[in-house]
Amino acid sequence: MSLRRRKLWSAAGAVVAASLVLSSCGGSGGDNEESDGKAHVIFWQQKFEDYQQEWFKQHVDDFNASQDEVEVEYVVVPAEAWQQKLKAAQAAGNQPDVATTNYGGIRPGAASGQFMPLDGLLPEDRFADIKDNVKEFVTVDDKHYAYPMLVEPSTVLYYRTDLAKAAGLDPDSPPTTWDELVSWAEALTDGKTKGMTIASTQGDLAWSSWGLQLNACGDFPLRGDWSSADATDPCYADLIDLYTRLYQGGFMPETPKVAYPDALPYGEGEVAMMANGSWAIGQLKNDFPDLVDKTAVAPFPSIDGDETKPTATLGGWTLTVDGKADDPEAAAAFIDYLVAGDPEIMADFFKMSGLSKYTVRTSVDEVLANDPKAKEDPFMQTISDQVVPYGMPEPAYPIDISNAMATAIESVMKGSASAEDALATANDAMDEIIEKQGLAGAGEG
Amino acid sequence: MTTADTRVAVEATPQAPGPRGRARRRTPRPSATPRHLQSDLTAYLMIAPMVVLLGIFVFWPLVYSFWLSLHSINFYLGNEWVGTQFYRYVLTDERFWDSIKVGVTYAVMVVPTGMVISLILAMFIKTLRGRTASVMKTVVYLPAVLSSVIAAILFAFMGQDAGLINAAIGVVGIEPIAWLNSPTFALPAVALAGVWLGLGVSTLILLSALNEIPESYYESAALDGASFLQQTWYITIPLLRNVFLFLLVTGFTLTIQEFQLPLIMTNGGPVGATKTPNLFIFDSFRENTPYSTSFSLAAALLLFLVLGAISLVIFRLLRSEKAIDA
Repeated sequence: MSLRRRKLWSAAGAVVAASLVLSSCGGSGGDNEESDGKAHVIFWQQKFEDYQQEWFKQHVDDFNASQDEVEVEYVVVPAEAWQQKLKAAQAAGNQPDVATTNYGGIRPGAASGQFMPLDGLLPEDRFADIKDNVKEFVTVDDKHYAYPMLVEPSTVLYYRTDLAKAAGLDPDSPPTTWDELVSWAEALTDGKTKGMTIASTQGDLAWSSWGLQLNACGDFPLRGDWSSADATDPCYADLIDLYTRLYQGGFMPETPKVAYPDALPYGEGEVAMMANGSWAIGQLKNDFPDLVDKTAVAPFPSIDGDETKPTATLGGWTLTVDGKADDPEAAAAFIDYLVAGDPEIMADFFKMSGLSKYTVRTSVDEVLANDPKAKEDPFMQTISDQVVPYGMPEPAYPIDISNAMATAIESVMKGSASAEDALATANDAMDEIIEKQGLAGAGEG
Repeated sequence: MTTADTRVAVEATPQAPGPRGRARRRTPRPSATPRHLQSDLTAYLMIAPMVVLLGIFVFWPLVYSFWLSLHSINFYLGNEWVGTQFYRYVLTDERFWDSIKVGVTYAVMVVPTGMVISLILAMFIKTLRGRTASVMKTVVYLPAVLSSVIAAILFAFMGQDAGLINAAIGVVGIEPIAWLNSPTFALPAVALAGVWLGLGVSTLILLSALNEIPESYYESAALDGASFLQQTWYITIPLLRNVFLFLLVTGFTLTIQEFQLPLIMTNGGPVGATKTPNLFIFDSFRENTPYSTSFSLAAALLLFLVLGAISLVIFRLLRSEKAIDA
């Protein structure tokens, strides 16, 4: 072979080699290396209110300092990037060993092998500490696929007592029916201050309307064994009517500045009432302390005034161990320390939250019961006594189903369709989802 | 003559010697490899890095994506072969076709509007001289260097109930409009941001093309008594035909794929009015089910075909002709 030719082939070989090296870059990174003799656990936390990051950081550091066998690497992931980042990590095999997971994700995650059962990894008495109504949220086929941290009702009514008085309304008798709610919203609408804010976009309506769907119809549009949809049930038209009256009456902002879980418009005085989850209490206490004394909390009104009907679903967060975790025992040891063991740690979390979230463990309840602040908090008492007891679990079906119902609500609110047509479209969409995703028979109702 | 032309000429000589046998007059140097093969080898080596990189980062992912799209993807339990099932699911999904319609409508709103405004701006800037022209070029190009995320946030604030746009129309007594939460106005509101963002690049491209048109054409036309509009219609626009074609094709394929503006300004709503194809695929991908992963992959590959078809149609409609070389 001539020198020139050899050089050319060498150059080509170098290019190919460089390319192969390049293509192999960017691979691993999530392996649980034990070069320091410790088991390394990667923990992803979905970003929530600032105090939560502070709490997680502090207790991860405490856990790492408390022993020398497990080292937890704490990663905060923005909520809006969570799904795509997690999927990319799963595809690359770099998924976290422990992650925050909401209740709605447990059942599908267990079915797809995403989570490892915690039975055998945590002491049995840890599961006995979970309240019975929450235990079912994390249990699939008698196995616990997550350890719950908290519950938070998705819909509570907040209202300004000073503005109610100024509008001639009695702040001690908040609205109890949907008709009364619309009347209050109308009375409280004054120039640039709107009567109330509630979800008005598909993304928010999909999940924040669950409690009200249960209130209007006693069930979700996918019932029983999920073999067919029941979205054309006329009771859903009543629910749509509530949203439409508030929106088309001009009693709520036409363009939402922030998403449903954000209490900013209420905090800044742009609205007099707000439908929001219990978590908003924390935001009000931390960001708008001057408003706390002028705010009252009540159960969200019921379609017919029956306060025992659910108006909220009990959402919340858990910690899960990944189905491919290299060292499940180390991952479970961390979960045990943080959320299942010493009740003082979780009690500290609820105190930092401004008592805006609710414990799922009997032992944590007992610690909080001895805290005078918790006993006297008016918001906590109302929500604990009048909302949580009637709250229901979130639906376990894919979010596509909820999106179809949300699209129906939004179409009517914004004048794109009649309630009858919108619900018929939603029903067809749900039946198509059932067929394509093979949901028939997957329900447990 | 281009580099490619040179290569062809060198290659043609030994392969097809002329009737007068020019090749035979040269004394070939003794070599194991014929000259034409050496030339080919050099050419192949020159393009090898790009071919290898394209292979690794474009062709292989494309082939692998297609292979994966024939499976129900599960990162934990393993993939299951389902053939073309997900393609059928995407093609029978009304939301996919609705998103294509939204993407095409958005492109129709943004691209021609942007081109007309850019042409007007470019013609105006061409009349300027010295420092004023430089300042204008910088000002017009500013949106191009601004992040589309920032632009989306700015326009979202402007479109609020108490935003700048409603304040402006309020001056003439028009009631506030829910620009970003109305099925009628949301897409035009997003398109407004899209037009603004695209102005910088298209204006500068058109300006450079305008400067290539010889002044003598306009002088002759003026001597013949042609008005400004006639000069624009009969000289400027025909001579910018290839530039328009470029802007149309690149503009359409880019704007149909618009993603950030509707994601930030409206999140695809209301009632799907601003859900462009890429946003639809992204939203499908974000859902936490194995189904959504395979579905979004099949939808992305089908969108690739749809965009290719649209580009072909544009090429067909506007046949490219080489402009008269001055």
